Amino acid sequence: MSDGSGRDDREFHKGLSEEVDAWLRGEGSRRTFLTRLAQLIGGTALVGPAAALLSPDRASAAGPVNVELAPPDTPLGKAQAAAVEASTKGPTDGSAYRAVQAAKKLKGATLNVTYESGLQALEPKNYSGPQWQALTGIPQNVIELPHPDQYSKPIAEHIANSGAYDILDIEPAWIPSLANGGVIQPIDEFVGTYMNPADLDDYHPLYKFLPTFKGKRWGVFDDGDELCLYYRKDVIGDPKLQQAYKAKYGQALRVPQSWDEYSQVAQFITDQLAPNVYGTANFRKAGSPGNQFAFVQEFRANGGVFFDPQTMKAQLNSPAGLKTFQQMIAQNKASVPGNNDLDAVAQWVAWLQGKVAMIYSWPPTGRMSENYAQRSKSINFVPKSEIAGKVGYAPMPGGHGEMASGYVKSLAAGSKNAEAAYLFMQWVTSPPVSLARVMLPYTLRDPYRLSHYKSPLYRSLWPAAAEYLVTLNNSSNEAVLDMIMPGWQDYALSVDRMCTAVWAGQDPKAALQRAAGEWDAVTRKLGVEKQRDAYQQFMKLPGAYPDHTIATMGLSVKLT
Amino acid sequence: MGKAGMARPGEGGAGLHRARGWELVRFLYIGGFLLFLLLPLYWMVITSIKPVSDFLAVPPVVFPSEPTIVHYTAALYSYRGMQGLINSLIIASATTVLSVAVGTLMAYSLARFHTGGQHLAFWVLSQRFLPGIAVVLPVFLLYRTVGLNDTHTGMILIYTVFSLPFSVWTMYAYFRQMPVELENAARVDGCSRWQVLKMIAVPLAAPGIVTAAVFAFIYAWTEFFFALILTSRTAFTLPSIFRSFLGFQGAQYGESSALTVISLVPSIALGLLVQRHLVRGLTLGALHE
Amino acid sequence: MGRSSIVPKRESPAVVDHRRAAEAPAGTGVSGRGRGISGRSRLLSAWIDRYFSVLLVLPAVILIVLLSAYPLVYSLWVNVVNYDFQIPGHDFVGWQNFKDVVVDPVAATALINTIVLSSAVVALELVLGLLLAVAMVRPFRGRGIVMPIVIMPLFMSPAIVGQFWGLLLQRPFGPTDYVLSRLLGHPVTISWLTEAPWNYIAVVLADAWQWTPFMFVILLAGFTSISHELYEAGQLDGASPWHTFFRISLPLVAPILLLAVAFRLLDAVKLFDIIYIMTGGGPGTNTYTAAFYLYEKGFQEFHISQATAGSWIFLLLTIPVISVLVRRLLRPETA
Repeated sequence: MSDGSGRDDREFHKGLSEEVDAWLRGEGSRRTFLTRLAQLIGGTALVGPAAALLSPDRASAAGPVNVELAPPDTPLGKAQAAAVEASTKGPTDGSAYRAVQAAKKLKGATLNVTYESGLQALEPKNYSGPQWQALTGIPQNVIELPHPDQYSKPIAEHIANSGAYDILDIEPAWIPSLANGGVIQPIDEFVGTYMNPADLDDYHPLYKFLPTFKGKRWGVFDDGDELCLYYRKDVIGDPKLQQAYKAKYGQALRVPQSWDEYSQVAQFITDQLAPNVYGTANFRKAGSPGNQFAFVQEFRANGGVFFDPQTMKAQLNSPAGLKTFQQMIAQNKASVPGNNDLDAVAQWVAWLQGKVAMIYSWPPTGRMSENYAQRSKSINFVPKSEIAGKVGYAPMPGGHGEMASGYVKSLAAGSKNAEAAYLFMQWVTSPPVSLARVMLPYTLRDPYRLSHYKSPLYRSLWPAAAEYLVTLNNSSNEAVLDMIMPGWQDYALSVDRMCTAVWAGQDPKAALQRAAGEWDAVTRKLGVEKQRDAYQQFMKLPGAYPDHTIATMGLSVKLT
Repeated sequence: MGKAGMARPGEGGAGLHRARGWELVRFLYIGGFLLFLLLPLYWMVITSIKPVSDFLAVPPVVFPSEPTIVHYTAALYSYRGMQGLINSLIIASATTVLSVAVGTLMAYSLARFHTGGQHLAFWVLSQRFLPGIAVVLPVFLLYRTVGLNDTHTGMILIYTVFSLPFSVWTMYAYFRQMPVELENAARVDGCSRWQVLKMIAVPLAAPGIVTAAVFAFIYAWTEFFFALILTSRTAFTLPSIFRSFLGFQGAQYGESSALTVISLVPSIALGLLVQRHLVRGLTLGALHE
Repeated sequence: MGRSSIVPKRESPAVVDHRRAAEAPAGTGVSGRGRGISGRSRLLSAWIDRYFSVLLVLPAVILIVLLSAYPLVYSLWVNVVNYDFQIPGHDFVGWQNFKDVVVDPVAATALINTIVLSSAVVALELVLGLLLAVAMVRPFRGRGIVMPIVIMPLFMSPAIVGQFWGLLLQRPFGPTDYVLSRLLGHPVTISWLTEAPWNYIAVVLADAWQWTPFMFVILLAGFTSISHELYEAGQLDGASPWHTFFRISLPLVAPILLLAVAFRLLDAVKLFDIIYIMTGGGPGTNTYTAAFYLYEKGFQEFHISQATAGSWIFLLLTIPVISVLVRRLLRPETA
């Protein structure tokens, strides 16, 4: 490139020189003009944050200073007042009181606490964090993580030896992996020193032993995530629909008692009432919190077993697995449009707008359906319920709802404030404080203590609240658990991926085969012998399989 | 310089005929492309000022009737966007200074003395293309032995290394184009090499330094992968906050959009500053406009 | 090319400084702090001068050795032991980690996805960028405003690009399906982020949104540098515009084009941020790319040795392309 490039070269150098000159002289040049323009554009975009800095909202959003309490004449207000009283005045042998007294001596600590991001984190930011600080002077940082990161981030921090977290919110099913990996530490000593043993008995039997592993206690249980069936009484009970259903199927239209009946009823309702009302809606989005819960729930209801107890080969690719997918695909067909993209929150939105006749989901559904949850500004993403008073509660079709995820508060092994952290854990799960927390409108924490189920304050929150609590309790009697053994998260993520692949159109048999292969690889990596022992241990837990629940072991709690 | 009657290079329009029809196609394409560029940005900015009820509305709300800044507040404070912003500023600024300083020194050496010949240059340049995952795994393990995990220093160091190719090559191209005569004259007059570098070469290469600085800053400001893995609750940068918005996203559209807008401001402002020298920077000096 | 045309007409302060110094007695140096430097600092000064070139590159070399070369060497050890969070100790396992990666069906999926997606995005960006360069190469009113807008995406974090594309495409609250339904007249219920093949299209679109300007800028520079005389010559010979474009312009920008493609390809194979934010690798493992697969293995499941082995395989696969590109860049003559 002879001529042209030479000329360009000279011109470039000339331009460069002039530019250098202008720059060094500090003259205005095209660059300056552009800078000014960019600043102008940028300035307008900065108006948002600038105004935010100046806005009066800043104080409340900026961090805990004052605890916002409910008016003292409301049930919630009374529960919160009772919590404060228990913490400051006693009973002096109560866990709440002991925790606060001991923690006051540990001023100067700051606690770093992990929570699931979004709605779940509202409770510590708005209530338990500020309240604890008001009582003991110990502030906390809430670290919000997506559900799968609640597992992986603490591990990363542990490997990095950072001591970044003090209290971990974890699924009970992760305890074996995290305990084996040295990420969490046992709390037996602290429990012996500080806790009131009667408070341990206040747990529903299903949850009582969950934080125990290899003979040690690894945390305190804090969230009764029992899946139940929620249905529209006005739809199921509609006389015209009942007639049509009887005519078509020769059976009565009722709350489904089996998964096949569930798909049938859902499809019928969709056929009759779409696009105003659909039969069902499901949380099918990956990781939010994931398909593994729904799958293992129905898999076991269909008689599926996870492993061959002798060879430890995964048994996903079985008639039970295929049947489960057939049923779940039938549910998808009978669902609202966009079903496969719904996470649990989006599912609630569709439900509350009245578009769905039946869903199975976590306990907050009950509170949101009655417009109780929506009282608070903090939860304003969830719309007003159009179906208040029309919602019925029932156990899962087939009777064995999954205790899906749940949360345990665990002590991080690298925590530099172990004692202060433990005391917060004890305080926040103590009967009076946990009652106030599960009664908060915006909380996603669900009742798990017998004192919660029986609480007259809770039962007064809405007309059917007593029925709701009894349903939760009874479902827990029959519940099945996540597979609590080392590697659960690997197994679970494999199932989640398997399900999303099938929703996207992959052949179920191929997907099951692939997932079974992944499961076997995990088992091999962790050691077949060790996994066999762990699986035997799991099978002894009440809730391992439908034939081995709290109910079948005669430990049911009877409540009215 | 221009010869009368001959258009400047490039005015041939790549040789395509100037028919009316083509003109229309041309502007349609440009317009369409601009629309493609701006629509997602518009939607995101609008979402950041919509009240929450508008998220659920069907048909989608094109302009909210009651714009609100509450998401900016929440993003900055509840989601610790403010801390992320400050961390990003600290890390990006320090990276810029370090990267440009170290890079300029090396570039001068390469340009004037051909230090290390082809091999050194090859090695430095190839860092630009190294897959991050190959490096971050061992760095993650190594950082913990020296306690650099989740620290500003740790991030600054790794960002410096990966922005060095940019810095070195931008400055290299500038130094190469600068005539040596001035420097030689200064040497003859008794200046040490360091003085030549400091007093002559660097000031003359100021535009290059600005360009290199901007590229380094933008790299550190927008980098996500290393930040995701190597930071946690102390040194997290603005992009890495977006990890919290996975999962139950519905409740957080406003905040995530607000955070996006905030992080775009320096990016765009600086990008406009350096657009003239874009090509050199993007291709590590292989081409210049 | 005399000196006068290079040195600025009005002298920069630095140059003025030098001239002033040149008029000073020799040996005082430009700083002019006084006659003579102390013996010690003169020795130091001389030493610095001798090893100047090496000293200058030392900081950079040290940094790169510490944070790139040494970690890579360390990871060679990690490759051959069993470094896994759930398994205590680091036993030697030889080739097992590599075997684990090679037989893992997800790894194969990830590799295929990487090749397919990176080819697709680069091809799309090339075509769109080329058309845009051709459209914008002739000046027009408003070009000065359009240019900055077009290059804006280059300065954004890919994570952010994924974030607002996800916002646009997700269901049930994103506007895309609604708008498409109105435009096409019949209901559109595409799940852009969870349904194949739409999720691939979504990812490709998001990446193209950000990086087409890259191709555009480089190709524009290429076209701008083509001499006008060649066009004139072509047109005088009676060549049609198409002919001129395909036989003259395109071949002349071909080297630049190839450079751009190579650059972009090497970045595209590292695709991670958009996948992480938009699809999370899903549905299933449909949109796993190599980088995402290795991230999952290493930082979600903490099978660290396996991830390291996988990333070495990935590195070895890309080294040939890197070498070729870097050597090309180092050639003194550019297009």
